[in-house]
Amino acid sequence: MILHLVTPLLFFVSSGGEAVVDSQSLTVYADVVYTSTGERIENGGVTVSDGRIRAVGAMRAPKDALHVAAITAGMIDLSGHVTTGGSVEESREVTPEIRVAGTLDPFSISWARQLRSGVTTVLVSPDDRNVIGGLAVALKTGGEKSIEARTVKADAALRGAFGSEPSRGNHPAYGRPTDFYSRRPTTRMGVEWEWRKAMYDAVAASKDPARTFPGSDELMRALKGELVVVAQAWATQDIRTAIFLVEEMAQQVEGGVRLVLDAGAETWKEPDLLKRSKAAVILPPFAHAGRTTDGAFMAWNVARRLQDLGVTIALSSHDALDDGARLAMQGAYARRGGLTLDEALAAVTINPARMIGIDDRVGSIEIGKDGDLCLWSGEPFQATSRVVGVVLDGELVVDPRAAE
Amino acid sequence: MKWVASWLALGVAVPGWALPSAGDPAPTATGWEPGNPLSLVVLQEDASEVLILRAERVIVAPGRELEGASVLVRGGVIEAVGKDLVAPEGATEIRGAVVCAGFVDAWSALGIDGEALVESGTSAATRSADALDVFGSDHLRAEALRAGVVAARFQGGQPAAVGGIGAVARLDPSLDAEAALLQPDACVGMAVGLTVAGSGQYIRQPDGSFTVDSGGRAADPFDRLSQIERVASNIEAGRAYLESQVEYRHELEEWEKAIAEKQAELEKDFKKAKKDREKEVEQAREKGKEHKEKSYKEDKKPKLPKHDEDKAALARAANGELPLVVEVHRASEIRNLLAATAGFDRLRLVIAGGSEALHSAAALAERDIPVIVWPSLRGKGGADEFEGSGPSLAAELSAAGVQVLLGSGGRDASATRDLPLLTALAVGHGLEREKAFEALTIGAARAFDLDRRLGTVEVGKEAELLVLDGPPLVTTTRVQYVISGGRTVVTPED
Amino acid sequence: MHRLMLATAALGFALAPAAIGIDDGDGAAGVSGGGNGREGRAERPLVPERTTAYRAKKLVLGDGRVIDDGVVLVEEGVIRRAGSGLEIPAGAGVVEHDGTLSPGLIALHSYEGGGADLFDATRAVMETADVSLAFDPASGDFARALASGVTAIVLAPTPASLCPGTTAVVKTAGGTVVKKDAQLALGLGAAALKPNEFPTGYAAALAELEGRFADPKGNFGKAASGNLPVLIQAGTRHEIQRALAFARRFQLRGALLGSTWAEDLVEAIEGSGLSVVCGPVDPGGDAREARSIAALSKAGVRLGFALDAPARHPDSLRFAVALAVRAGMDAGAGLKALTGDAAAIAGVAGRIGRIEPGLDADLVLWSGDPADLGSAVVAVYVDGKLVHGGTE
Repeated sequence: MILHLVTPLLFFVSSGGEAVVDSQSLTVYADVVYTSTGERIENGGVTVSDGRIRAVGAMRAPKDALHVAAITAGMIDLSGHVTTGGSVEESREVTPEIRVAGTLDPFSISWARQLRSGVTTVLVSPDDRNVIGGLAVALKTGGEKSIEARTVKADAALRGAFGSEPSRGNHPAYGRPTDFYSRRPTTRMGVEWEWRKAMYDAVAASKDPARTFPGSDELMRALKGELVVVAQAWATQDIRTAIFLVEEMAQQVEGGVRLVLDAGAETWKEPDLLKRSKAAVILPPFAHAGRTTDGAFMAWNVARRLQDLGVTIALSSHDALDDGARLAMQGAYARRGGLTLDEALAAVTINPARMIGIDDRVGSIEIGKDGDLCLWSGEPFQATSRVVGVVLDGELVVDPRAAE
Repeated sequence: MKWVASWLALGVAVPGWALPSAGDPAPTATGWEPGNPLSLVVLQEDASEVLILRAERVIVAPGRELEGASVLVRGGVIEAVGKDLVAPEGATEIRGAVVCAGFVDAWSALGIDGEALVESGTSAATRSADALDVFGSDHLRAEALRAGVVAARFQGGQPAAVGGIGAVARLDPSLDAEAALLQPDACVGMAVGLTVAGSGQYIRQPDGSFTVDSGGRAADPFDRLSQIERVASNIEAGRAYLESQVEYRHELEEWEKAIAEKQAELEKDFKKAKKDREKEVEQAREKGKEHKEKSYKEDKKPKLPKHDEDKAALARAANGELPLVVEVHRASEIRNLLAATAGFDRLRLVIAGGSEALHSAAALAERDIPVIVWPSLRGKGGADEFEGSGPSLAAELSAAGVQVLLGSGGRDASATRDLPLLTALAVGHGLEREKAFEALTIGAARAFDLDRRLGTVEVGKEAELLVLDGPPLVTTTRVQYVISGGRTVVTPED
Repeated sequence: MHRLMLATAALGFALAPAAIGIDDGDGAAGVSGGGNGREGRAERPLVPERTTAYRAKKLVLGDGRVIDDGVVLVEEGVIRRAGSGLEIPAGAGVVEHDGTLSPGLIALHSYEGGGADLFDATRAVMETADVSLAFDPASGDFARALASGVTAIVLAPTPASLCPGTTAVVKTAGGTVVKKDAQLALGLGAAALKPNEFPTGYAAALAELEGRFADPKGNFGKAASGNLPVLIQAGTRHEIQRALAFARRFQLRGALLGSTWAEDLVEAIEGSGLSVVCGPVDPGGDAREARSIAALSKAGVRLGFALDAPARHPDSLRFAVALAVRAGMDAGAGLKALTGDAAAIAGVAGRIGRIEPGLDADLVLWSGDPADLGSAVVAVYVDGKLVHGGTE
């Protein structure tokens, strides 16, 4: 084992390694602490109190202390969909002003599932049945049962979709319309039309106050780059459409859209465009058979290829019920596809945090950040390792010592 | 039961259900004689708990109370009732204001598997006891126990014309099927004139439009009339089957007698007969004809009537062995039903529902036909057969001389818990308190042939008891303890 | 000697209010009169020919108090005096009752007489829709309600849209509208969402209502300024949470409609200052409902009960209370929720719901404690007139 140098910032006062555990603080020890800052600490520990990380460094674990094989920062999943009832307002296709936070049910047991698997922060977005669904919210998966208390960042991103999903439920308007789903868009072109129209209308509204409409403010903020746009684009044609549209609007509005491509399974087919656009990419759950939604083909080493291009990537699990598809295992598949442990770790911690601008609070183990930790039974992102404990906001919510 | 005796004489094994339940051994001062194969053997093996209940009032039976009395329970049986009872060594003492018999829901959906309840493909022989679900609805049964209901009669095939054989079971969730079933064959159930809701699904019509399947079986008056005819014909079929069984017995006996006689004769006159026969055979051969053997009438052994499970069940209703519970609501249908069944003098008819039974109150009172009333809080807008029902139905029927029993409607398993409160509401609408209490205890037990085992606080009966902190059927009274199967299944800490 | 006399006088003075009972000048009962010009009348001496006295073994006042040997003096449909052992003026009519007398019961959400007119979901927001125009006073539903002791209902539009309109307090005898535009009905539950129209999801529903209250006009303005209480329908826990946050944000006062899941949110509801309209309750319903009601009552939340007749029998009101009592609620608190508290939630505490000088003489004579389901309605009086049972 190569001993890494311990980062200077990270010492608790009694640095002989015996952290004083008072009743308010919690210290967890591990064979290796992966901080997501590029540093690894062997035989280290993390102390949390009052909801924040207070110390991290090499610490000698006292007898009977809480000790695991590895500690990482709590994982972040940008593909959360734990909503209830209609999560999108389907009376219109473009609803940038609607906040998905109004549809969340903090009493749902789905949150516990996420939490137990090591995901401490999720970005919940409206479903992609609308072209532009509205404002996503970043929140913790546990804690006090209220959305306000759990919110990390309200209005964290503007959600939309390119591709076939927004048009799937709509019927053509010819013949006798049977319900209000007989409307545009019914094709990919229609989806792009809605995007472009919404954006141009927002630009017009910014110039003429009489033309404002619900959502025009949010769209302008997105166009200026003040509000991140997370847009679903599985297949090549959708990725190209998204990037070309962003480039077109950059000529209309100073600033330019900060684009994150969600479920970019075929991004590996457009390396030049990706580099040019500086878009970030959220990869969908690994498609073991290759072919995914919209016919997109997800290469087994797509993460590696994007990493080599310098694209910031995040992994996602799409709220999988199946333990083998949850975020911890997505990291394992990414490593099998060529990522290193540190790259896989970044893809589920600091990268997603940076993409939506919550890296001041979460995403790595640094003093002052929220006390969100994953405790592993072995090296992270291995098929033989599991998340056995979770610390959320400084509380040990999943205890590795508890009986199974 | 002559034919049963004959069966036994043949040495044929008789199925347990055919054993007359009226043959229960008589209670003695010390307890049951072993012999009933269906229950108490189990209880006697589990005879560890000895309880002494001391109360300010013991309601022994409706209208009979003892002040400052105690009840001694051992082995699941009431061993003694009286003042100044001495508690034996190791007895658990329970004190309360009132001790009375536990309530029985005479028309319930609790304890039966949900699919069986709504099964419409049942026939007369379908046994609801086979659908007893001892694992499901634990929380509902616990809630019902806490409200004081210790047993319930349930019937599968609620929407069917013939539901099958209903059963009565204890509600203690910790019992297995054998221990829970108080009366596996409690009654035969039928229904007339029920509105059965449609599936509610959208069905594509030929013209391309969609309509909701609102179903509505038996909305048609002719349909309902034919259902009543079917009730009568079913009972008749049962009676005919029974008669054919009896006839077969007779004929078989006679045939055997004739055979024996003939054999005796032949033994006596064997040689002569042999010679006669040889002569005839010779004659026939000479003539070139076939010799036809002389066939005696006695040779034709009477044919065993084909065993029909359904008819056998209906036979038990026809001859009064099991009560026939018919759910019927509308005045005209009740009248027609009474007329159609008037000829079956051994039939024990019980009406369930009876929303408009007041119109036939005189006939019901005269024929001693009890009505199981569901004191519901339905309003307008439901199935039309319930229009006449309401919390005052029980009072009105009782005032007109009809014997009233009480049940929770046989549709919703969770309604059993609220039966005591609904009974209190019926009392508020005029039902005599004593009659209400009787309906919930000994009345229900008697209707389903359990009156020697349940329903009152008397020596020799099984210990199905409530300990209350006030008079029963008063809203503010709480059930403190429930004793069922001899065990304390509910305590105030629950 | 002086001291003894003083002491006796002081003692007599202290005891006097108890003997006199609740009288016109005594503010002990809280709000006396209703600000409707009746205080003046309460001061005048009684005219015996126009007065009826009701004497009952027990008198339920509707504010939680029960007094023995109660006497209520009613003149021309208005309660003039009430108390224990009051003197009855000669010449007044007397109704003797060997049982309990209580104020008429009030159902806080019901549809008697309204029928299909109360269901209008053509638009998501119809804040001016006034149900007092939509009921038939001669409907048989009202007679059925009277037979169960219910003398007033809050007639409400079905909560099938975001804002179906306003509620009205209606008497079940005579069709009197005690108060129209009593509450602004808001729907924040799943019932307000539609499969094929706006709004299809909670988020837009909330956004729409927030928009209405951000710049409130008309009835929204009245609600925002505290002049019109709201009645917010919410079912599941997160809907209740959302409703509480909404009310807190715009400082709305009023009540929640829907108590089934309140068990887990008792503290939050108590802290919000909103009342709760519980139920309606059917036999065989979820045991959680009764537990929630009992928990809310123990926490001191002001409660009332919904009925939603004619789909259910009006006795469901007392049945709901009985279920809650079985789950641990105090029986007296249950009666209060059907009378005085119900009137307060509906904003008509100055007219009905309690036996107090100046309030309408809506009285029910019971054979026993009204909280006991075994008690029967013997007679019902509305505005001093016999409308059910009894013998004149």
